[in-house]
Amino acid sequence: MILSAHGDPASLPPATPPDFDREVAAIFASRCFDCHNTNEHKGDLDLTHRETAMKGGEDGVVIVEGRPGASELWINVSENKMPPKHPLPEAEKDLLKRWIASGAKWGTDPIDPFRFTTAKRAGYDWWSLQALKKAAPPAVKQANWTRNPIDAFILAELEKMQLAPSPEADKRTLIRRITFDLLGLPPTPEQVETFVNDAAPDAYDKLVERLLASPDYGVRWARHWLDLVRFGESNGFERDQHRPNAWRYRDWVVDALNADMPYRQFVRMQLAGDLIEPKTADGIIATGAIVGGAYDEVGNGQQSLAMRAVVRQDEMEDIVSMVSQTFLGMTANCARCHDHKFDPIAQREYYQLASSLSGVRYGERELPADTIRDKTQAYNAATNSRIAELQSRIDGLENPIRDRLLAERKNQKREPPKPFAEWRFADDLQDHIGSLHVTVNGDAALVGGALKLGGKGYALSAPLQTDLKEKSLEASVSLRDLQQRGGGVIGVQTLDGNRFDGIVFAERVPGRWMAGSDAYNRYKPFEGAEEKEAATAFVQITIVYQADGTITGYRNGKSYGASYKSISLAPFAAGKSQIIFGLRHSPAGNGKFLIGAIKSAKLYDRALTPDEVAASAGTIGVGESEIAAALTAEQRELIKTLRFEIQAIRAQQNRAGSTRTYACVPAAPGVTKLLLRGNTTREGPAVNPGGIASVSGVSADFGLKPDAPDADRRVKLADWITDPANPLFSRVIVNRLWLYHFGNGIVETPNDFGFNGGRPSHPELLDWLAAQLSSEGWSLKKMHRLMVTSATYRQQSLPRPEAMKVDASNRLMWRMNPRRVEAEALRDTILSVACELNPALGGPGYEDYYTFTNNTTFYEARDYVGSAFARRSLYRTWIRSGRNPLLDVFDCPDPSTKTPRRAVTTTPLQALALMNDSFIFRMSDSLAARVKSVSGEDVARQISEMYRRTILRLPTPQESEEATAFVQKHGLAAFARIMLNSSEFVSVD
Amino acid sequence: MSDANEFGPLIDRRGLLRWATGGVASLALAALLQNDGIVRAATLGESADRAPHFTPRVKRVIQICATGGLSQIDSFDYKPELEKRHGQSLGGSEKPDVFFGKIGLLRKSDWAFRQHGNSGLWISDLFPHLGEVADELCLVRSMFAETSNHTPATFQQNTGFRLNGFPTMGAWLSYGLGSESDDLPAFVVIPDARQLPPGGSINWSNGFLPARHQGVVMRATGTAIDDLHPARPIAPATEADSQALLQRMNRRHLESHGGEDLLAARLRSYELAAQMQLAVPEVTSLDSEPEATREMYGIGQRETNDFGRACLLSRRLLQRGVRFVELFSGGALGSPRINWDGHEDMKQNHGQEAKRIDQPIAALLKDLRRTGMLDDTLVLFTTEFGRTPFTQAEANAVGAGRDHNQYGFSVWLAGAGVKAGYAYGQSDEIGWKAAENRVGWHDFHATVLRLLGVDHKRLTFYHNGIQRRITDVSGEIVKGIIL
Repeated sequence: MILSAHGDPASLPPATPPDFDREVAAIFASRCFDCHNTNEHKGDLDLTHRETAMKGGEDGVVIVEGRPGASELWINVSENKMPPKHPLPEAEKDLLKRWIASGAKWGTDPIDPFRFTTAKRAGYDWWSLQALKKAAPPAVKQANWTRNPIDAFILAELEKMQLAPSPEADKRTLIRRITFDLLGLPPTPEQVETFVNDAAPDAYDKLVERLLASPDYGVRWARHWLDLVRFGESNGFERDQHRPNAWRYRDWVVDALNADMPYRQFVRMQLAGDLIEPKTADGIIATGAIVGGAYDEVGNGQQSLAMRAVVRQDEMEDIVSMVSQTFLGMTANCARCHDHKFDPIAQREYYQLASSLSGVRYGERELPADTIRDKTQAYNAATNSRIAELQSRIDGLENPIRDRLLAERKNQKREPPKPFAEWRFADDLQDHIGSLHVTVNGDAALVGGALKLGGKGYALSAPLQTDLKEKSLEASVSLRDLQQRGGGVIGVQTLDGNRFDGIVFAERVPGRWMAGSDAYNRYKPFEGAEEKEAATAFVQITIVYQADGTITGYRNGKSYGASYKSISLAPFAAGKSQIIFGLRHSPAGNGKFLIGAIKSAKLYDRALTPDEVAASAGTIGVGESEIAAALTAEQRELIKTLRFEIQAIRAQQNRAGSTRTYACVPAAPGVTKLLLRGNTTREGPAVNPGGIASVSGVSADFGLKPDAPDADRRVKLADWITDPANPLFSRVIVNRLWLYHFGNGIVETPNDFGFNGGRPSHPELLDWLAAQLSSEGWSLKKMHRLMVTSATYRQQSLPRPEAMKVDASNRLMWRMNPRRVEAEALRDTILSVACELNPALGGPGYEDYYTFTNNTTFYEARDYVGSAFARRSLYRTWIRSGRNPLLDVFDCPDPSTKTPRRAVTTTPLQALALMNDSFIFRMSDSLAARVKSVSGEDVARQISEMYRRTILRLPTPQESEEATAFVQKHGLAAFARIMLNSSEFVSVD
Repeated sequence: MSDANEFGPLIDRRGLLRWATGGVASLALAALLQNDGIVRAATLGESADRAPHFTPRVKRVIQICATGGLSQIDSFDYKPELEKRHGQSLGGSEKPDVFFGKIGLLRKSDWAFRQHGNSGLWISDLFPHLGEVADELCLVRSMFAETSNHTPATFQQNTGFRLNGFPTMGAWLSYGLGSESDDLPAFVVIPDARQLPPGGSINWSNGFLPARHQGVVMRATGTAIDDLHPARPIAPATEADSQALLQRMNRRHLESHGGEDLLAARLRSYELAAQMQLAVPEVTSLDSEPEATREMYGIGQRETNDFGRACLLSRRLLQRGVRFVELFSGGALGSPRINWDGHEDMKQNHGQEAKRIDQPIAALLKDLRRTGMLDDTLVLFTTEFGRTPFTQAEANAVGAGRDHNQYGFSVWLAGAGVKAGYAYGQSDEIGWKAAENRVGWHDFHATVLRLLGVDHKRLTFYHNGIQRRITDVSGEIVKGIIL
């Protein structure tokens, strides 16, 4: 092929003058142009043009026609002075010498380093850049084996190697294979039986249709896509903050795939949806792809302009590489600092792409509220019913005890004291006694029956109408997390905020309530207990200020630590003071905000007595701690779990209620300049937004000026990429589909169709499939159907020694490739066979970690119990530093890397996780319980059911006997754990 | 492209049967490659160019990362001129481009410098114990970084790149050299006992390498490794019978599937897991060390206990064949400071942090020397960047804190293959910028790999169009520090 066509120059007869364009120019381009080009000409030498090369550099002529010995160029090269530190191989030296000796004849001027493919790099004639070749399915001998044209292409190559295809797999194997492939889940035993017993000739086709119509198809294939666009739901880098609204993009991908959105539109939406469909939420959401990568918040915020420029260029490289690799299989990012070393991509063209995308900034965008309202309502309805279910289970445990305790102390009930002002945030922002109504600022809002404070908002009341001296402040408050510091709950302050008294959380001591005041003038620690509950329940905090300066704290009506005497009571004057919620005191600023919710609050214009505080807190009723004391430890644990799930669902509802999405936030792009050596301090000429000229069939000239607006740039880029005449666009996606279905790519490097990438094993098939995609209206489902109904796909996967000898890696597809179930599919499968899988689609992801913030947000993996966490793994929240160890060991990739194909490794850590993780034990219990509920107490029947549920077949007599002995000794749950670890369970034939 | 090998898409064959390379697995791979010769269209995967490429001087490495930016001028880079100019302005025409943009007056070291050992190396009283082992150290006082933003700088210190998603040196070595032990992973990370470093686990990512090269977090106190033992108590007989039945089932499945690699590897992985369950508790049982050793590391003392345990555990891991141990001194960058980021008060901050690690690291060096391990072990002490000789304060004030300094800082190496009691490179006269024999991270990584017998240009992994390497497209071996 290419290598032999041009050959090793050294082997040519010495008399032949070298071919300038193919040989000499190639050496200049790969060895000299880094320093001696038009933009950068060291020693004043530019070798790209005949005229400048012949003129020479600052020391005069470097090429003397016919006389190598007099040519500085040859002298420097032969003495290993040039290129510096990287002497040329002898063959190349010899070639240059012969070229000069033979008269130094120039060829194409200026030199076009990309003109031809050489032994070292690809040129314009590189295979993947050429138009699709019309290929008809070849003739084959064993024609009766073929089911569709794919098989003819495959069989023709097999026959060339005298290899036979493998026989068709049995029906159980087929349904298991294709269900994993299309849905990422196993079939149920019932589905297997139905299919196995369906003798109709179209039984398999019906199965394929059922699976392609299942919404789980989108869940499965969205995962493949998210791997490509390095989708993460946090910023990465130092702080790694959560992006709470990034999930909408994930849902968009699932929906688009399920709806079989034409692939061209699918891609156009992700590049420029906000411009193509500006009125829809989807148009904005889809652009989440471009900004799916990490974002250096600290780097972007630093003082130094020069360093910020470097950060921005690194960002652009991430964006350009995602776009060029994902959609075109081109590694344009390799041309940031110099022309691409291996592919015909000029450095200028990298900056053309960067210019096309330079309007892209990271952030959140507001969505047209009416476009997402229905979805949000449906989501809330579905999740509210789950909350109700959980709450009724809690009530079922607690209410009988509460009723009993209440009955016992009915006569002790006292009237709560009458407040001076009262706010019930379940209803409104009004003062229900007087006129201290409040208004909200920033992100404070009435949500879910409380004043919700997101850390950027607060509420202020109208000014006080009377002077306030003695007072009591009271609020029922919950906190988003217990690590936060310094937020105010309720306070009274002068209008400028210079003097204040208020309930403050953890300003001085972590996790403790305190009486905050200006410059700590009236502060001493209460020395109360560390707050442990406020993140999962509302607690009532009261602080009482007496005339003599004594300050007393209460929590849920009981004394909180010890009261103390401050220097004096601070008076607050009518008209010059007000009540403040969610902020320690004005003016607003970081470190003073509360993150949490306030359900209700009261202000008293006098100092309450301990009894009054208790009456107000209702502790005369029944306190939670009293109920807890009456429960068993097991019940307490269960209630804790149920409450935690409610809290998690509520947090998700809050996220779902947001009308924002993490997406491309366009900004004025400015003029992009080529950067010499990629160095931000060395600007070259301005470039136009544009594409890469070596891609045939489409023009890389977008007809735009360097200062064109973002909208023109991105739409033109989308046009160029998705043009049906762009041969890479369709080749790359059909190859991806092939790889996911078959386990081998036709090209083994799906993100790189260039010189460093793989060569197609079946080039005609690749082009035929690519043409098919475009003629079938860019329907991905039609391509799936074509591939999975082929005879090639239906082969057995068993190794055959005679075929292994010829083609061990199965490039020719003489068998189906056996697979290990991927990380997410494995977890989903375990949940599914244990009947624990929550099949709900869409909405904010579940968070399987504990988080705390100390500048960096830290995420520690947790195995949380409850159906809110038992969703398909696609719906986990993909934090860059918060990887899930169970998924990790099964090769779930780093969300910051673009992963066109996953590694498949087998390690002891994998074995340890699958044997020992708490998730496995929980699922083993559920699986065993489920089996027992179907099979009763008969051990043999239990074992049959266990086999049927997990690996979709019945045990052999030997297996049954072995398992019976084991179960009788160690129980069914222990056996379930073994089944979940078995090779048959985690692999697909 | 004929020199790039192919490997089957199903399984990372190289890591099939062992953590370690060599032995059965590589023979199997060679055989597969020969058989594979017929189809040469693909070019996926791991480099055929197997390490080691040279005779190694070093078999294993321990890297101690001081997170936050350790001040060179207060520790290893003695600058009498700075002492003289204390309280003066920086002068000159250049306006320093520093992270917080505040250029206060120059401040001398808060710790006195003195010469130590036969070598006479200058080390400040910030590290009195390290002073005792000065004759083991090879200081590099001319380091520079490409950014003065903590996390990109830390990424570069560990991966060579400023971005998320690249493999760290430990992951590269796990990939290139494997472990010397079947029972323990090749790359172990011991975070600061107080907190993970900023960015958390991003700091020991496998990047685009297969996930098994990710750093395995081990704790020197409490549970050493997650999921090492069943999450619930389980009767020993049940566990033993479970393992036996599982292996029997999996073996049968393997036999019925023609000896498929993936299935064979699974069988082996459970055997290795069982070995790990024995090996990890053994290696983490620091109580089995003699009392005198524990004392030397400062175990039992309030300030040094955490890091002392980490250092002693590191030595035990290396002894048992772990290739690369990475220790972090310092947690996240919040307040109060629990790392080396001394913006506000150098004396308090560096004083507090140095006390935690000084004695343990000196003990580690002494212990490695005593056991002979220092003959083929390399110890690295690094930080993502240094600190400014001028303070982070108003232009007319000598503040108490110092800002980030990417232009010049110090690291040291000790042990096999490097000069001992030696200082390489120079910064300018006030210790602001590296001036002579400047060393960047690519050079540093290239040098460490060279000592391990690995050519940094040949330790590559194909990823999305590029044969990636830790040194990107540069990296010069720092010959001046190699013996």
